Amino acid sequence: MVRKISIDPITRLEGHGKIEIFLDDKGNVKQAYFQVPELRGFEVFSLGRAAEEMPRITPKICGVCPTAHHMAATKTLDNLYKVEPTETAKKIRELMYNAFMFEDHTLHFFFLGGPDFVVGPDAPAGERNILGVIDKVGLDIGKQVIGIRKKMRDIITTIGGRVIHPVCGLPGGVSKKITEEERLEMLQVGKDGVEFAQFALKIFDDIVLSNDEYVKLITGHIYQHNTYYMGMVDKDNRINFYDGDIRVVDPDGKEFAKFKPEDYRDHIAEHVEPWSYMKFPFLKKIGWKGFVDGKNSGVFRVAPIARLNVSDGMATPLAQKQYERMFKVLGKPTHHTLAYHWARLVEVLYAAERIVELASDKSITSDDIMNIPTNTPVEGVGIVEAPRGTLIHHYNTDKRGVLTQTNLIVATVNNAAAICMSVSKAAENLIKNGKVTDGILNMVEMAFRAYDPCLACATHSLPGQMPLIVTIRDNKGAPIEVLRRDR
Amino acid sequence: MKAKVAFFDFACCEGCQLQVANIGEALLDVLDKIDVVEFREVMSEKSGGDYDVAVIEGSITTKHAIERIKEIRSIAKVLITIGACASIGGVNGMKNNFELPEIKKYVYGEDEKYFDSVPTMAVDQVVKVDYYVHGCPMYVPEFVTVLKHALMGIPYKAPEKSVCTECKLNENECLFDRGLTCMGPVTRAGCNSWCINNGNICYGCRGMLDDPAKTGQIEILKKHDIPLEWVTNKFNMYNKAKDVKENENE
Repeated sequence: MVRKISIDPITRLEGHGKIEIFLDDKGNVKQAYFQVPELRGFEVFSLGRAAEEMPRITPKICGVCPTAHHMAATKTLDNLYKVEPTETAKKIRELMYNAFMFEDHTLHFFFLGGPDFVVGPDAPAGERNILGVIDKVGLDIGKQVIGIRKKMRDIITTIGGRVIHPVCGLPGGVSKKITEEERLEMLQVGKDGVEFAQFALKIFDDIVLSNDEYVKLITGHIYQHNTYYMGMVDKDNRINFYDGDIRVVDPDGKEFAKFKPEDYRDHIAEHVEPWSYMKFPFLKKIGWKGFVDGKNSGVFRVAPIARLNVSDGMATPLAQKQYERMFKVLGKPTHHTLAYHWARLVEVLYAAERIVELASDKSITSDDIMNIPTNTPVEGVGIVEAPRGTLIHHYNTDKRGVLTQTNLIVATVNNAAAICMSVSKAAENLIKNGKVTDGILNMVEMAFRAYDPCLACATHSLPGQMPLIVTIRDNKGAPIEVLRRDR
Repeated sequence: MKAKVAFFDFACCEGCQLQVANIGEALLDVLDKIDVVEFREVMSEKSGGDYDVAVIEGSITTKHAIERIKEIRSIAKVLITIGACASIGGVNGMKNNFELPEIKKYVYGEDEKYFDSVPTMAVDQVVKVDYYVHGCPMYVPEFVTVLKHALMGIPYKAPEKSVCTECKLNENECLFDRGLTCMGPVTRAGCNSWCINNGNICYGCRGMLDDPAKTGQIEILKKHDIPLEWVTNKFNMYNKAKDVKENENE
């Protein structure tokens, strides 16, 4: 069956999340598909261009998380030109990056995915948004959310020139130093961020964890998948968003692999399905066994719960406490998809604490911000942890530094197989004998919203809900029900 | 009566809409004069939406988009483009460096025939544009200025001078003197030399001046021993769409 999808080579997404659910002849779910953006247009039209342009080009893939692409591209250039950034430059980059993680994660918790919990999974869709959150927790808190996010964006503006499509990343360093005055401002924002993050975790405690129904929902089997996990860790195997090695743990939480970014090809392969233009990454050494979980399937997950699962702890004290608490309740590793929301808040706290650490270091205002690259380029790989998971850039160039090959594996794509599985599982458990209700939309939506999939539409819809079309098809592929939520 | 303002997005990263959302106080001046009736792609447009001002983000890359922008133009009394994609074609124009069937095949493989795609165009290559807000992302102060002009019904045009004129006033060291290339000398001003102030080079995201100082630019390149093709390739990052001739996509 041929479905016509209006997606252009350079449009990064369709503007709608699209779920296709196929039923068997008994009216039960046979398979469900979730489609996410495709990026190969960028991979091809960067060919023949100077590699140094990539930190300026790739942020344009997505206006929601440009900082992640900017940083991954910049690190790929370091690796391509074999130039080590100065210590100061690394600190400046990491500081900006943590401000970005804080800002993006809080956007998700308060505006996009979190309202499912804060307002309640059963609340009408029209209330599960930032306004509903404000209703529930009070206007003052709403103002605090908006206020702290603005201050974090100001850090990005100071360092990167602007929040959308920053310009500070250069191979070997950054384009501009920070002043003592700016450092002190950032330190204060970091401290405010720590306060706010603890406060957000308390909201989660009060509203979600103290409610047995919610805890049951989080730990229920509908939203569980026992998969491998992947994330970046520092030399002590603690979480780092900006730099480190990639660690993979198996469904029992045991280390399965640990590798340098340059070696990602030895560990990650991509599976192609005829129904999607998206590739599905899997662990090469296990192999692709289909959309199934378990130790024998190469499917892995990335992003907050994955990062917490692969790490031995958090690098900052308050976040470490929250980390211990979360795993005490859920067990480690946790396979509960809805725990993404909780883990995301633990990461917000870490990001704020890390900002305080970096901004407390007076040497961050040093003039030594750049090592000039002098080596002839051949190949480079750069990896960062984007809010939505591990983000890989890989470039090959000729000796002039002109791109001959590029490969981008973006965070949401790393989670693609798992998202499809989660959507399928939720649908299978909720659709029986062809009976479909509007309630299914909420429950299915929750399965993929937990991953914070990068559909810019999700963040742009001012009511704070993801535009979504669910098509349910019979065993011949004919649509029997279309649920849509456009606005 | 308040003016009804509608936002529409075409092929882009949607970063300019985020710029609007992040404006904050500066927008308060005009907010009580307008009524935002749409802030994303809507279905009602085909049945005849009701708005006075259409704000367009993104470039035109499909036949469907050509029809859609014509429809919007037929309804809107005033049409404003925001950001490089809508105003000059933007990074999507890099697609035009390749043969269309070749890039479609690369992206969609055997299924390329199911996909509608045309060479990337700026909005004004399809319909008349009344006001432009340039930049990638769009420069927020310019957006506020343009919106005010549009609401008052008086024309606005970005200054017809190069980014260098603003860069000099900001006392930045010339990037050519630092051994780098920069598109500033031929790029339309109005961003207050945003990127150079932050230590990076200008990539020409505001588009080429209507009447650039060609001879002067060639002199600069000669003086610094920079091949012309190296610079045109850089300039193409944002400006390639304008190569598409009128009616080529009809």
